Amino acid sequence: MLLAGIWRLTLGVWYKRLLGCILITTISLLLSGCWDRSELEERHFVLAVAIDRGDQGLGPEQGKDVPRVETFVQPHGDKRYRLSLQILDMMPSEKDAGGSKGEEVTYVISNTGESMFEMLRDMLGQSDQSLWFEHMQTIIISEAAARQGGLQPIIDLFRRQAEMRWLIKTLITPGEARPFLEYKLPSGEPSGIFLANSLQLYKKNTHVPTWRTDIGDLAKSIDNKSRVLMARIELVDNVVKIGGLGLFKKDKFVGYVDEYATQGGKFILGIEKSAIITAECPEHPGKIIAFELFRHNTKLTPHLDGENIYYTLDIAMRGNLGEIQCGRQHDTMDAGVIHKIEELVAEEVKRNVLYAVHANQNLQVDAIDFGAKLKAHQPLMWEKIKDRWEDEVFPNVSLLVSVNVVIENIGEHK
Amino acid sequence: MANLEAKTYMSTLQLMIVTITTCIGAQIMLSPRALIASLGQAAWISVIIGGVIFYIAACLMLKLGKQYPDETLVEYAPRLFGPLGGSVIVLWFNLLFFLQIIEIFSGVGKIITFFMFDRTPPEVVILGLLVVCTYCALQDWGTILRVQQFMFFVAYSMLTVVWLASMLNFQPENMLPLWTANGKNVISGGVSTWPMYSGYECVLLLLPLVYRQANFAKLAKIMGGAFGCMTLFFLMIIIIIIGVLTVENAKSIPYPALNVIRSVELPGTFIERLENYLLLTWIPVVFDTLAVMMFFMGQVCMRYYGYVDHRPWVLMLVPIVYVCSILLLDDQQVYDTISKYTLWAGLGFSFAVVPLSLILSWRQKRKAGARCG
Amino acid sequence: MAKKKILACMMLICLCMFTAGCWDRRELQERNFVLAVAIDTADAGMKPGVNPEQEPEVKRVETFVQPHGTKRYRLSLQLLKLGKNGDGKDKSKTYVISNTGDSMFEMARDMLGQSSKSLWFEHVQVIIISEAVLRQTGLGEILDFFKRDSEMRSRMRVYVTPGEARPFLEYIPPNKEAGGMYLSNMINLHVKNLHVPGKRTELASIIQYLDSNSNLVMNRIEMADKVVKLGGLVLFKKDKFIGYVDEYAVAGMKYIFGSEKSAIVTIPCPDHPDHQVIFELFRHDTRLRPHVDGDTIYFTLDINMYGNIGELQGDIELENTMDSQYVDKLESAFADEIKRTILYSMQISQNQMKVDILNLFASKLKAYEPDTWAKVKEQWEEIYPDIPLVISVNVSIRNIGSHR
Repeated sequence: MLLAGIWRLTLGVWYKRLLGCILITTISLLLSGCWDRSELEERHFVLAVAIDRGDQGLGPEQGKDVPRVETFVQPHGDKRYRLSLQILDMMPSEKDAGGSKGEEVTYVISNTGESMFEMLRDMLGQSDQSLWFEHMQTIIISEAAARQGGLQPIIDLFRRQAEMRWLIKTLITPGEARPFLEYKLPSGEPSGIFLANSLQLYKKNTHVPTWRTDIGDLAKSIDNKSRVLMARIELVDNVVKIGGLGLFKKDKFVGYVDEYATQGGKFILGIEKSAIITAECPEHPGKIIAFELFRHNTKLTPHLDGENIYYTLDIAMRGNLGEIQCGRQHDTMDAGVIHKIEELVAEEVKRNVLYAVHANQNLQVDAIDFGAKLKAHQPLMWEKIKDRWEDEVFPNVSLLVSVNVVIENIGEHK
Repeated sequence: MANLEAKTYMSTLQLMIVTITTCIGAQIMLSPRALIASLGQAAWISVIIGGVIFYIAACLMLKLGKQYPDETLVEYAPRLFGPLGGSVIVLWFNLLFFLQIIEIFSGVGKIITFFMFDRTPPEVVILGLLVVCTYCALQDWGTILRVQQFMFFVAYSMLTVVWLASMLNFQPENMLPLWTANGKNVISGGVSTWPMYSGYECVLLLLPLVYRQANFAKLAKIMGGAFGCMTLFFLMIIIIIIGVLTVENAKSIPYPALNVIRSVELPGTFIERLENYLLLTWIPVVFDTLAVMMFFMGQVCMRYYGYVDHRPWVLMLVPIVYVCSILLLDDQQVYDTISKYTLWAGLGFSFAVVPLSLILSWRQKRKAGARCG
Repeated sequence: MAKKKILACMMLICLCMFTAGCWDRRELQERNFVLAVAIDTADAGMKPGVNPEQEPEVKRVETFVQPHGTKRYRLSLQLLKLGKNGDGKDKSKTYVISNTGDSMFEMARDMLGQSSKSLWFEHVQVIIISEAVLRQTGLGEILDFFKRDSEMRSRMRVYVTPGEARPFLEYIPPNKEAGGMYLSNMINLHVKNLHVPGKRTELASIIQYLDSNSNLVMNRIEMADKVVKLGGLVLFKKDKFIGYVDEYAVAGMKYIFGSEKSAIVTIPCPDHPDHQVIFELFRHDTRLRPHVDGDTIYFTLDINMYGNIGELQGDIELENTMDSQYVDKLESAFADEIKRTILYSMQISQNQMKVDILNLFASKLKAYEPDTWAKVKEQWEEIYPDIPLVISVNVSIRNIGSHR
């Protein structure tokens, strides 16, 4: 109030206007937040991250001196992990005519240590711009690193930092993880983006389990103390293949589950949009009949019979006849033949589903998350057994499957 | 600045809009974690129970206000409780707003610096928001009412639209089982949703402005409408949080609403990081809650000390609010203690002071009526 | 009248021609941009890929008959290719020429015999000196040419490497930038990276410290097999090379100087020491002050740090970061770790190397207690190893992250 009085009494109109202009200019300069800006050319885009065990994961043709130069004197802990980053080259060199395009679109830097964050910051000593993780697409973890200390030390940085996204895909590999970052695709796409996009095709490819295997879902599963799934990837001789599942129980790596069991798991959960189911013709052994699934209706419910828990699975599938290798011997226009094929396919689906459940039960890991269904529909029972679920109860749970297949079309030719 | 837009009357519909905009504020980001951590799957039931309980409290306040038309709490509290008691009540009333304001500022500062501007100190963010809210609080009621109405139709709808994008990731199964059999917990949880619903105490200040013709039944219906809207809004938030993240995950995340929106991937596009958009649409919502609460604090001080202008009081508040918000930034323990005290102060006011005043006013009126013959 | 006008016009034209200074022009295409300089000992730093039998020949051809002195140093320059590459196979934007001799200036001039354009030093980004050279001579001698010539920039970075310096000029960075620019941009990240000293290590500061007889500090760079890493510190006493200091001690020194903008502090979890928990620093207030108590001199260091929990590698069920008491425990554990780091670096600086780094403590004493400084400045080198440092650190964790 005193200031207001001074304002009114002592200053003339022009002074007030001048002061007002100065005030506006100062406020605009201060409030535009320019100190927090970071230009695009001053950042390095990190596209993918690979985590190996500390003594593995050296790049190709790297001498023995490299690990010592790459790393730093660590006050606490030991060199447990090797963190490698795939960085995008924003301005690749001029492509020579006839040479392979995009040979050098990305490059890899690496460091060893224990804490991911410390390794990251020390890697700034190998880089000329600051590293930016908001475009990271995939994390590839080697089995050796996961067996070493569990999953949580590896992924904590990625679930805690604000720069990381929820949708980062995770993959596990039996061998070393760094070669995936060095892998150069013929199309010139950086391998980090290639892997993430390939995993997006999970809807059509039943051998890939990527529904709910992003970092956010990993954090969710760990909080819920349930199993963690990751897609499995392998690299041999420049050939990369994604297929199968890696399973973690209580932060420990348990094992792999093959593609057939992954397919069965997806049928139970009802997350495939399209699938190919193959059956062997009973009359002509060795010849395969393939069914292409278009639509399905799946319902999995838990039931209680006293103290026994059993599940019922009802699947209704609709699709086309994809391929029949003994097609000349059968009259596929005949309804009876079609009906027999439908039954064959239903049997096959049943077998697949039971195979998947048994594979999980043998590993004592509830990969298909039967526990969540039990918790939702029979909460009282769940409260009683939730601590012993994966070790004791789940391996003894039985599944009653009933499948109904309808073949709508037989294709262009009979 | 002699062209302040004072307002002497407002309609009941405007009262409803003001209540909604005051109550739905920053707590939709700050409170869900604590609620889900203590109640688990049954959090949505507590939200509904809380809505009902606080609707009753608001109706009690309406009844009290109707006893003294043309007067706000500040004027009739000394008459009811005596001069000392009246001062205590007015101070308690003011403190409710103050504690909420500093909590909201400090929480907003933390969220914005963590998710949007890493290197900006939270003090700068709080200062910026404080300056804007003060500018709004310095206006008179007519302007503020217009701001509230505008925000209600623009900001809240944008916030709802962005929030509903998270339905893409909603898994209904995470909501089951719907009921975890512990009745007492649920009711105490309902009571603990007060921070989300708080702000309806403004009715005690605003009632004189509402048309005299509005009788109690109409006002109660309007309040019901307001609380219905609020309950629906909060339900939408809690249900989607539990459905997308599960209860266990939501317990471990400081601000689960932002993680929910982060998990959204708009199909077919590259657009991600929707939490930036959610925060952008959330800031106007916070702004109008804060500005109107600062205005109310100014009004209370003004009426208590017999001034005509609320503006010097608002200006005097600014440094106090700033310093107290900064102090809450550093230590989480201090923040938790202040939240606890705010909860008790709010519940005490709604369920002890207001019914007591109602009873006292009935007695006084009866005594006066008897004397008048 | 007309005569005067003509005379005036002619004078104007003459003046314009003389004052435009066109005889001093040097077009851009006629200059060779020198981007980086490497200084080795004369028998190191040969061109890579040269047949060992040919080496003495190459050396003889490169150099010149010197009137005075011996062949002590090898000076290599990285030159920028301005035009497009001829056949496109060679991806680098630069090439290297080299010479041996004693005087830097003489070598640089003689190298014109290997170049088609005159060498222009105004864009030199970085000077790399090998350790072998520094063991031979003091720094002042080597850098005299660079501090004296008017073409040199004062913002040149200076690095020291344990191995040979020339390979750094031959190095092609992965993003195909010109090598000198890449090497000098690396130091800009020193504000985020605790293991790189960075501040006050460019040529201007070095000259300033040489003039005021202070103890210098420089960055260390190392290379192995296409991996170039900047980290660690090189310590000098006045201008004599003493040794290297590891990254942990560099972190401590940066805390004392207060020159970090962001830092990572790692500690083992207080309850479960086989996992680590990490603190990310965002802001800090550091104050180093001398105090004199009668005859004793001691320093106090007060640090206030604000930041977030960066990473917690343990099982989050066991480490409950939502519990504010646990967070308090973490805060004091981090403060202890920072204290330990600082004490470690003080131990290296005082007991092992016996050098007052950048004369920081001396300058603080001179600034705040000038009378005491006047008394002790002759014996500062002897007194310094015994001066105690009282440290008080306060850490405040503002956020625990997106997930607990």
